[in-house]
Amino acid sequence: MINILFHLFFPTALRPVSCVWVVWVCLFFCNRLTMVGAAPICANAQAGQLCHVLSLANLFDRVIQHSARTHGISNNLHTEFEQYFLPSKNHIGRVSRNCHTSSILTPNGKDNAQRMTREELTEVILKLLLAWRDPLWHFHQSMAHHHDFNKFSSNKTLEMSNMVHELHRGVEKVAEKMQVLGIISNTVSNLASPEALLASDSSEWRLMRNYDLLYCFRRDSNKVQNYLKILKCRIVPEHGC
Amino acid sequence: MALLSSNLLFPLLMSSLDWLSTPGNGFFMARHDVTSPAPLEPHITECMSRDQVTFQCWWSPGNFHNLSSPGALRLFYIKIESPPSEWKECPEYVHSNRECFFDTDHTSIWVTYCTQLRALNNITYYNEEDCFRVENIVRPDPPVSLNWTLLNISRSGLNYDVMVNWEAPPSADVNTGWMRIEYEIQYTATNSTKWEAVEMQTQTQRTIYGLRTGTEYELHIRSRMPGFVRFGEFSDSIFIHVVKAPVKESTFPLTLVLVFGITGIIILVMTVVVFLQERLMMILLPPVPAPKIKGIDPELLKKGKLDELNFILSGGGIGSLPTYATDFYQDEPWVEFIEVDAEDAGTGEKEDTQRLLDVSQPVGHHMNTGFSNAVSFPDNDSGRASSYDPDLPDQDALLLMATLLPGQPEDGETSPEVVKTAPAPERLLIRTQTAGPQTWIHTDFYAQVSNVMPTGGVVLSPGQQLRSQESTSGTEEGTQKGKEHKGSEDSEEEKEKEEQFQLLVVDPEGGRQASESDAPQMFAPPSSPMPGEGYQTIPPQLAETQPAARAGDNQSPYILPDPPQSQVFARVADYTVVQELNSQHSLLLNPPPRESPPACRPQHPLKALPAMPVGYITPDLLGSLSP
Repeated sequence: MINILFHLFFPTALRPVSCVWVVWVCLFFCNRLTMVGAAPICANAQAGQLCHVLSLANLFDRVIQHSARTHGISNNLHTEFEQYFLPSKNHIGRVSRNCHTSSILTPNGKDNAQRMTREELTEVILKLLLAWRDPLWHFHQSMAHHHDFNKFSSNKTLEMSNMVHELHRGVEKVAEKMQVLGIISNTVSNLASPEALLASDSSEWRLMRNYDLLYCFRRDSNKVQNYLKILKCRIVPEHGC
Repeated sequence: MALLSSNLLFPLLMSSLDWLSTPGNGFFMARHDVTSPAPLEPHITECMSRDQVTFQCWWSPGNFHNLSSPGALRLFYIKIESPPSEWKECPEYVHSNRECFFDTDHTSIWVTYCTQLRALNNITYYNEEDCFRVENIVRPDPPVSLNWTLLNISRSGLNYDVMVNWEAPPSADVNTGWMRIEYEIQYTATNSTKWEAVEMQTQTQRTIYGLRTGTEYELHIRSRMPGFVRFGEFSDSIFIHVVKAPVKESTFPLTLVLVFGITGIIILVMTVVVFLQERLMMILLPPVPAPKIKGIDPELLKKGKLDELNFILSGGGIGSLPTYATDFYQDEPWVEFIEVDAEDAGTGEKEDTQRLLDVSQPVGHHMNTGFSNAVSFPDNDSGRASSYDPDLPDQDALLLMATLLPGQPEDGETSPEVVKTAPAPERLLIRTQTAGPQTWIHTDFYAQVSNVMPTGGVVLSPGQQLRSQESTSGTEEGTQKGKEHKGSEDSEEEKEKEEQFQLLVVDPEGGRQASESDAPQMFAPPSSPMPGEGYQTIPPQLAETQPAARAGDNQSPYILPDPPQSQVFARVADYTVVQELNSQHSLLLNPPPRESPPACRPQHPLKALPAMPVGYITPDLLGSLSP
């Protein structure tokens, strides 16, 4: 788990530096426990296990940054895809097909999003991320065999797939932390909800063309980014909202 | 022609109508394709959202002016969602702008909208590309409260930095995290048309460096959602202008200090120069040592007065030189002259060299003082200011001095003890054991230093016959017959050189002169000049091999001659006239006169010389010598 967190929060290029940074942050934030709430730290920690005590705000920041990057990559890929494969710009045929994540109920407006509870919002985020893990991986696989697609873009698809994976783990971590701190109730624990499983297991996405996948993912990544920001500004508003 | 004009007018009218149709909308570019010509049929010009909560769409009737009246065209939209919906009409029209406003209830983010225009007769003008999602059409409002503050001005006063501050647009809900905004500043000098763009940032302040004073800058800012491409409008410009301030005050005290400082320094220097002129001159321009021979008026040493000099040196003139010299130095009490006993001049009983080398012989008091004189050279106009330090010569030098100075006592005591003297507190350097004033016997002033011991001592070679002085001619006896014998004896020894060098001890007194009058003794000239060698010394062995017991005391730094024996060596003269230079530019001294009468010796170098009793050559004469 620590390894995954590690991979999530620090990009490949910065890993050596990140080691030192993680240790430093641990030491630094170990002194700031009172900020985050009365819950005991590392309540479940086993003996000898390194306890990462990162503040929640920090965790949120990392996750939000990650989601912003994911969205950026999906944007780029989408634009490239349009240029490469769909010069005709025929949107109607494209938009008519729904995304496979349409079954997941998501707030489509500011008011709706603010009316949702924290738990619901967290769940939505997790569902979305879970629903995109497999499709993106397969997307990458299919694009890798496409020789027209340039190398750079195929690297992007892989990166995108990895990032979603990590983002999912990260949000899980955040949810865990929030539950530990008592910010949200423990109802979020069932991440493997039927809806989510359905979405990921459904073969709808297999029927989607690659372009639609990108189109849908671009939208969903923006959703995730937005929801995370709303959640953060609701829970820990002091840091840059 | 009318047709032409109408053809010209019609597009003009069209374009003007086009412009009129969307007064509230500043953007004429179509969403997807800017370069394609505006379609002639009614179309949606643009849809835009400011806050991601509501949005508006504008349309244009195109060429169909009959549809330009309000209400002639109706806008319909459809949301592409999972439960398929149907086309709905615009919830709120703003006919003055040909605008359709979608409020919060009718706005859904992340949902695809498609719009179409319908005329009253149900003709539908629909473009497939007019579908969008609201988050993609967001153009945030420009930031508000844009202002700047001066941070600092460079020391030169030419550049300055400013801090620009603003606030997020109120319409964008940043606090709840619903919208994230990044900003772009652009500024330019007012007289320039090129705008400088600062990189995008999410903070609401920015420092701009390196603006030039005296130049007015215009600055404005716009917003955008990060991850999206559409910018909002630019804010109103603000103008930044900083005038170069004259900074005389800060430099005023500095210049004052400088002026006073420089004046003070100049005064100081002048004072020093004026009051300490003499010392300053001494320090800066030390007097050049003039040629000086004690007892001789320096005037005579100047060029052109050779005759007089020779006269004096030869002992003529007004009385003996010592007295002359004494008179000359009357006023200098520290000068004492070594008196040489003239009676013993010429007696070869005790060879001068012996006396010279007989250090154990007590040296007279005179010698002491003479020594001091000799050592101290206290002459004002000589090179006194030079580095010569007369006060404490080392011991070996003292001993050398002792040997070189004549003045062996007559008793002939030849205790081979070395007189070691403790360094005298004053200038008296050598004290000898014997008592009684010693009279100077005329001895040879010079002895050749044949070798220098590693301990620092000097080995003198007394082997040369010290010729007494009767040769007044400049050429000498330098017979080295004995020397040649010696040389032949020691021919196996390498050092045959016979180029001797002379060790000059300049005495202030008459002893020297007396010897001069007797004619100096000269060392033998080289019989066979060694090519390529300058001066060489005769090795001590040479002295050893001399017949008769030479009390060569190796411990002592010098070789003591055997007093009672008469030297059978060739006379060594004090002076030698430099005859010529050989091919190796060695100075050839007078050749031995006896062995081989130097008839074949070219004497032409001396032609120019006047008859000189002594071998004194002025430098300019030296130049006339040719190898």
